[in-house]
Amino acid sequence: MTMDETDLRLDGNAVAGMLAELFGFDMTVEWGGCAGCGATNQLGALLVYAHGMGAVACCPGCGQALLRVARGEGRWWLDLRGLAWLQLDEQARVVG
Amino acid sequence: MGRLSWRLATVAEVRPETARVVTLALEVPGWDGHLPGQHVDVRLTAEDGYQAERGYSIASAPGSERVELTVERLDDGEVSPYLAGELRPGDQLELRGPVGGYFVWEPGRGGPLLLVAGGSGVVPLMAMLRHRAATGSQVPARLLYSSRTIEDVIYRDELDRLAAAGDGLAVTHALTRAQPAGWSGYARRIDAVMLEEVGWRPDEHPLAYVCGPTRLVEAVAGQLVALGHDPARVRTERFGPTGVP
Repeated sequence: MTMDETDLRLDGNAVAGMLAELFGFDMTVEWGGCAGCGATNQLGALLVYAHGMGAVACCPGCGQALLRVARGEGRWWLDLRGLAWLQLDEQARVVG
Repeated sequence: MGRLSWRLATVAEVRPETARVVTLALEVPGWDGHLPGQHVDVRLTAEDGYQAERGYSIASAPGSERVELTVERLDDGEVSPYLAGELRPGDQLELRGPVGGYFVWEPGRGGPLLLVAGGSGVVPLMAMLRHRAATGSQVPARLLYSSRTIEDVIYRDELDRLAAAGDGLAVTHALTRAQPAGWSGYARRIDAVMLEEVGWRPDEHPLAYVCGPTRLVEAVAGQLVALGHDPARVRTERFGPTGVP
């Protein structure tokens, strides 16, 4: 069996550490709304494609990129334009 | 309140599980516990400064003295050949976590529980089963676990013991590549028929946790929903192309 994009697909669990470091919250349990199709999901359920520099998290409903994150040259880069909204529960704050 | 940061862990013990899988028992100063199903990120730094990070599920139950990670050695891997081949007691590792509250089960969340694993995808599910046993939970649970051969089954003896305890846990194995003489269990990949035979009926409203290689996870999650299970009660954790059983 040859490997294709399907095999490399991960989910929001795979970027839990990176997002917790960035946001200070366990983002996998937080809810977001897709600006494309309106679907509401916990970020743990998003489809994630990870690369050396960062990751893209997509809506499991329509495939739209909701969140792009990259790190390099001492900076984080964050593109959230695919998200209509993000809800953060104070209880999910991470202490490190 | 600080954000999540990297910390140093010391390897206390390296325990072989199968020919390709080891459990690392770690001492982590200041560890304030985890939930069953969570993982940590491990970071390795080469002498030239190059860094590689990978997530590894926590196998131990909350409250255990040490944090245990079970790691499968992938021959073309960047991190796992070191973790599952080179590490010795006393060595140190950088880790970040615990993280990932999405793929978590605790007894208070109820059941009945359907756990489906492919290969090393059993690791976070084992933390759930260990916690279930340690807390005396009576939540009915069924584990359907796919491995290549009987020798590749991780935690085989412990799973036998847990299933024999008579506290409402049933363990079913599927062996996809080779079966020992006299094997009466499943000898194929997990499919919808198997999920219907082993799992709960949709009207029993099980909570399902599916973990393993991406193809297996997506196939099983799709089959559960097609069988009539509520998608909101099917949680998945994809391990990527990892050791396809």
